[in-house]
Amino acid sequence: MSAIATSEKVMAHHEAGRARISHGGFDRAFRAASLGCALLVLLVLVGILGATLWGGWPAFREFGILGFITGTRWNVGAEQFGAWPAIAGTLASAAIALVAGVPISLGISVFLTQLARGWMRRPIATAVELLAAVPSIIYGMWGLFVFAPLVAAFVQVPLNAVVEGLPLVGTLLYSRVPSGTGIFTAGIILALMIIPFIASVTRDMLDQIPPVLRESAFGIGCTTWEVVRHVLLPHAGVSIIGAVMLGLGRALGETMAVTFVIGNANRLSPSIFDPGSTIASRIANEFNEAAGLQLSALSALGCILFLVTFAVLILARLLIARVKRI
Amino acid sequence: MSAGLATPVPSGRAADESAPSRIAVRRLDFYYGDAHALKGIELDFRDRHVTALIGPSGCGKSTLLRCFNRIYSLYPDQRATGEINIDGRNILSDDVDVNELRARIGMVFQKPTPFPMSIYDNVAFGMRLNERLSRADTDARVESALRKAALWDEVKDKLARSGTGLSGGQQQRLCIARAVAQNPEVILFDEPTSALDPISTGKIEELIEQLRSEFTIAIVTHNMQQAARISQYTAFMYLGEVVEFGPTGGIFMNPAKKQTHDYVTGRFG
Repeated sequence: MSAIATSEKVMAHHEAGRARISHGGFDRAFRAASLGCALLVLLVLVGILGATLWGGWPAFREFGILGFITGTRWNVGAEQFGAWPAIAGTLASAAIALVAGVPISLGISVFLTQLARGWMRRPIATAVELLAAVPSIIYGMWGLFVFAPLVAAFVQVPLNAVVEGLPLVGTLLYSRVPSGTGIFTAGIILALMIIPFIASVTRDMLDQIPPVLRESAFGIGCTTWEVVRHVLLPHAGVSIIGAVMLGLGRALGETMAVTFVIGNANRLSPSIFDPGSTIASRIANEFNEAAGLQLSALSALGCILFLVTFAVLILARLLIARVKRI
Repeated sequence: MSAGLATPVPSGRAADESAPSRIAVRRLDFYYGDAHALKGIELDFRDRHVTALIGPSGCGKSTLLRCFNRIYSLYPDQRATGEINIDGRNILSDDVDVNELRARIGMVFQKPTPFPMSIYDNVAFGMRLNERLSRADTDARVESALRKAALWDEVKDKLARSGTGLSGGQQQRLCIARAVAQNPEVILFDEPTSALDPISTGKIEELIEQLRSEFTIAIVTHNMQQAARISQYTAFMYLGEVVEFGPTGGIFMNPAKKQTHDYVTGRFG
C-alpha cells in the first residue's frame, strides 16, 4: 500500500517536472536573447574589419598590399599613398611610451604592493586610477600648451647643442625645428596614458603572489630590491609582459592626444624629435575632407591599425592567462 | 587514527641536558595590532637539538617561530617586545641588521617555496647575495647543501632545470637545501610537512634528524607523533603562553600539567 503511494508521489513529482520543462519556451527565448547580445559584439567586430577592408581595397589594389605598407610617400595632390611614415610613427611613439612608461608602472606597482604603508596605499592607488579617467583631449591640450613648450625649452634646445654634428645621435636626436611637438612628445604623453593600465594589472599580479614566497625570500636575507628583482618579478613573469602589451594596445590606437602633439608631418624623419604622424592621427586629420583614393587609403590604414592592435591584445590576453593558470 | 588515544612514544635521540642554550627567549610579548598573541614567553632552545612547538591552532607557536628571524617585521602592525638572545645577542634590539640576521637563521615554510629560477640558482641564491664566492666554491657549497638535504642524487643531472618543476617533497627539500647552504646557526621549520604526502614527510623527518648534528632546530608542528619522533625538547603552548616545556619524553609520557596531558593524548586540540 505504502509502496504504491510512494510511486504515485514519484509520478506526481514527474508530472510537475514535465510541467516545469514545458515552461522552457521562455527559457529558450532568454537563451536566444543573451546569445544575440553576445553575437552582436562578434558581428560588430567582423563588420568593422570587413568595412575597413572593403573601403581600403581600392588603395590596396592600386599600390599592392605590401607596396601600400612600405610606401613612404603620402601625397594627396599626386594621389600617392604609402602607409610607412604613419606606421613607423605609430610604432616609434608607442615604443617611446613603453620605454618611459613601463619602468614607472613597475615602480608604482612595486611601491603599492611591497613598500607603501596602509594609509598611503589608498590615495596613491586612487590617483593612479584617476590618471586613466582623464579624457584624452585633456592630455592633448595639456601636452600642446604646457608640455610641448617645456620639451622645446628644456630638452630639444639643450640636446641640439650637444648632439649637433655627431654621427647617429646627431640625426636621431637632432630637432630641425625645436617646437616641442613631435614623436618624442607624443610618446611621453602616451606613456602617461598607459601607466595606469600597466600599473594596475601589474599590481594585481604582484598581489596574487603568495605571501609565503615573499617571506621566504626575505627569510634568506634578501633586501626588498633583491626580493622584487629576483623573486617577485620573475614569478609574475610573462604576465607582466601581458600587462605591457595591454598598454601597448592602448598606445597604438590613441588618437586625440597624439594628434595634438605629434606635429602631423606626412614625411618620415629619422629624428624622434621631429614632427611625424601615427595611423590614428593621420586618419583624424584627413578623414573629414578625404574622397576617392585618399579615403580608401585612410580606410586601409585603419584596417592595418585594427589588425595590429587586435594581434597585440590577443597576445596580451594569452600571456596573462598563461600565468594565471600556474 | 586507530592509535589516536595512545600516547605517542618518543623515539628520537635523548635530550642532552648539558647542551648550552642557543636561543634564550625572555619575557617575550607579541602583538598583532591590539591582539596580544604571545604573553611573557620564556624558553631556551638548546644547541644542536630539535625543539618542537606544539599546541592547538592559534596558540602562538608559529608566531613565536616568526620572531626568531623577525620576519613579522614585514608587516607594520606586528610587533614584539622582550628579548630573544641568540648567542647572547638580543636580536629584537633596533641596531640588529635584519638582513644579516635572516641570513644566519634559515626558515622553511608550510608550503614549498622554490624561487622562479633553476635548482642550482635556488640553492646558490642566498650565498651569492651575502658572500663573494668563486665559481668552484659555489659549486661545492651547492652540492654539499643538496647532499645534506638528501636531494643531490635526484637532481644532480638537472641542476639547470627550474626548481618549480620538482615534486612537492623535492621542492621542500630544495627549500631546506637553500636554508642549509647559507650555513645558518638555527633552522626554523614552520609545519614543514603539512602539505606533503606520508613518504615525503618521512624523508623530511629523517632529514631533520640528521641536520640536528650541525644546526639548532626549532619546529612547529600540528602532528604530535611527528613532534615525538623527531624532537628532544617540546614546548606545549596554549592561548599565547607556554604551558609546559621540557624533554620530549617527559612531555609525552609524563606531563606535569593536566592541559598538556589532555592535548598529547588527543582529548582536545
